[in-house]
Amino acid sequence: MKKILIVAGIASMLTTSVMAQNIGASIARFDDNWLTVMRNAMVDHAAGLDGVKLQVEDATDDVGKQLNQIQNFVASGVDAIIVNPVDTDATVAMTKAAADAGIPLVYVNREPVNVNELPDNQAFVASNEIESGTLESFEVCKLLRAKGKAGGASILVMMGQLSNQAAVQRTKDVHDVVGMDMCKFMTIAEEQTAEWDRVKAQDLMTNWMSAGVKFDAVIANNDEMAIGAIQAMKAAGLDMNDIIVGGVDATADALQAMKAGDLDVTVFQDAAGQGAGSVNTALELIAGKDVDQKVYIPFKLVTPSNIDDFLGAN
Amino acid sequence: MSEVSSATAEMEAIKKKRHWPPELNALIGLIGIAIIFEILGWAIRDQSFFGSLTRLKIMILQVSIIGIIAVGVTQVIITGGIDLSSGSIVGAAAMISMSFAQIGTYPKAVFIDLGWVDLPIIIPIAIGLGCGLLAGLINGILIAYTKIPPFIATLGMMVSARGVAKWWTKGKPVSFPTDEFAAIGQGMTPVIIFLCVAVLFYLILRYTVYGKHTYAIGSNQDAARMSGINVERHLVLVYTIAGTLAGLAAMVLAARGLTAQSGMGVMYELDAIAMTVIGGVSLAGGRGSVIGTAIGMLIFGVIISGFTFIRLDAFYQEMIKGGIIVAAVVADVYRQRRRAMES
Repeated sequence: MKKILIVAGIASMLTTSVMAQNIGASIARFDDNWLTVMRNAMVDHAAGLDGVKLQVEDATDDVGKQLNQIQNFVASGVDAIIVNPVDTDATVAMTKAAADAGIPLVYVNREPVNVNELPDNQAFVASNEIESGTLESFEVCKLLRAKGKAGGASILVMMGQLSNQAAVQRTKDVHDVVGMDMCKFMTIAEEQTAEWDRVKAQDLMTNWMSAGVKFDAVIANNDEMAIGAIQAMKAAGLDMNDIIVGGVDATADALQAMKAGDLDVTVFQDAAGQGAGSVNTALELIAGKDVDQKVYIPFKLVTPSNIDDFLGAN
Repeated sequence: MSEVSSATAEMEAIKKKRHWPPELNALIGLIGIAIIFEILGWAIRDQSFFGSLTRLKIMILQVSIIGIIAVGVTQVIITGGIDLSSGSIVGAAAMISMSFAQIGTYPKAVFIDLGWVDLPIIIPIAIGLGCGLLAGLINGILIAYTKIPPFIATLGMMVSARGVAKWWTKGKPVSFPTDEFAAIGQGMTPVIIFLCVAVLFYLILRYTVYGKHTYAIGSNQDAARMSGINVERHLVLVYTIAGTLAGLAAMVLAARGLTAQSGMGVMYELDAIAMTVIGGVSLAGGRGSVIGTAIGMLIFGVIISGFTFIRLDAFYQEMIKGGIIVAAVVADVYRQRRRAMES
């Protein structure tokens, strides 16, 4: 009896693996808000497709763990692998592990360091990170000009975790925008990390205000920190109409803050578009189709004038 | 500089007096660090570091939530144990209690379909405390009755509770609490809550049977057992209290940020342990007090504000913070050796 059950079990496993296309996905971390929207979009999209089975693993921000997950996917014979890299410099080994096994691989959201040397059955789906910080900072520059502060304005920069590529790039974008002729009137008074965290951003903002720092705008690498800065400024009794605040991500909380008139600028990165896009690209690679190796999904600037297009998007 | 002078001061004091309280070392450290930042403040910002009421407030406010956890961790460490799970309990308790505290008009509320939103504030608070209590109870039972080391039991809880935090809403953040719930974390309320918790447990540890048993178990578990203390039951109680305080901290944190996120509280357990150790609570068990922990907490608060004030980059902040923690433990080992030599 036992044997029959085991045989039946193996047989059913074999039939499903023949029928379905199995995709394994390793996500940098499950507790990141934006990545959660992307991950859920992947799961929902795969669930809506006939015969596609998606298995999602949490790499918990650990490069070694992620590589193990990819090797486990290879060992269990998936048809394609989707990787949201923990560290964009650690992708060479991942590319090799999948390429050696002849399994298609799709990088999503974060640009791998070897993006230009990917084999034919690997691709990359993301938004171009340079756009986000630039769109944000340039809009803050325009808003400050519109407020008649072109004679000189002081800005505060809140950075994400310093080990993170997006934090480094978005901060560099602020500096690049400040270097432009049109925005030279802006000077960076303070620049410090609040580790993407809302409560840490509250504390940082309060510490700055306690030092008597004068400022006209706050540019944060993400919305959570922008919201934290707003909460601290409101608690200190500042009028949010006088201060320009910018973030990135267009999270639900951020859009509410924009509706309330507190947040002035944010940038929408299409989480659902990237998640679904990565699954589609993986399926095309499985089918042996010729795909673009770099699929860019554009960032969009969000301001009070177009906020309604984004409510409920991420 | 101040380390050298405090070390010599310590040696002289030991000659005069046998029981130099470890809290005094921490206090000297706090004053030394404060003086350094005051001098650097004038040098770099041309203003007094301590001459701002806002800054004095933020110094305490930014560490008071971890301070609430540290009061529980202090008791655990006095029994000779350790609690690695508090940060993850914060994540789980914040997510779960916040989902019962959302406003009914928010369209993405977790339980909007069930019509459970806009509940009276007592419900999310009871649930948040209950989550912490349950996690602490499991820790305590595992440690007291299966005899596995506290490090392993609470490590297991650290991993599992983080899993619960992520699973509850599949990683989605939970925001927009009712005004009543938000009030727990606004203004200086977190500091007031910390003070209440700290004073309460200072008195309990010092003047009650609970406190005497806690120190007795940490000094010598076998002797405590022989003198008739129910060690198992007492350990369960200590870990349950620590877990409940983590649950309380979770709600204060969520109310302060007006959001709960599954990644909340990461590394809080280590900050809480570090505050405790800096405050002179011995990892060997049996010694230390909530006052020491409060001083350790203030040292953290002063250096966080101080680093921002003198515009020190985050890389150096972490290096120096690590150095301070190790220095505190070195001081503790040194103190124990002096004591052993004298007796």
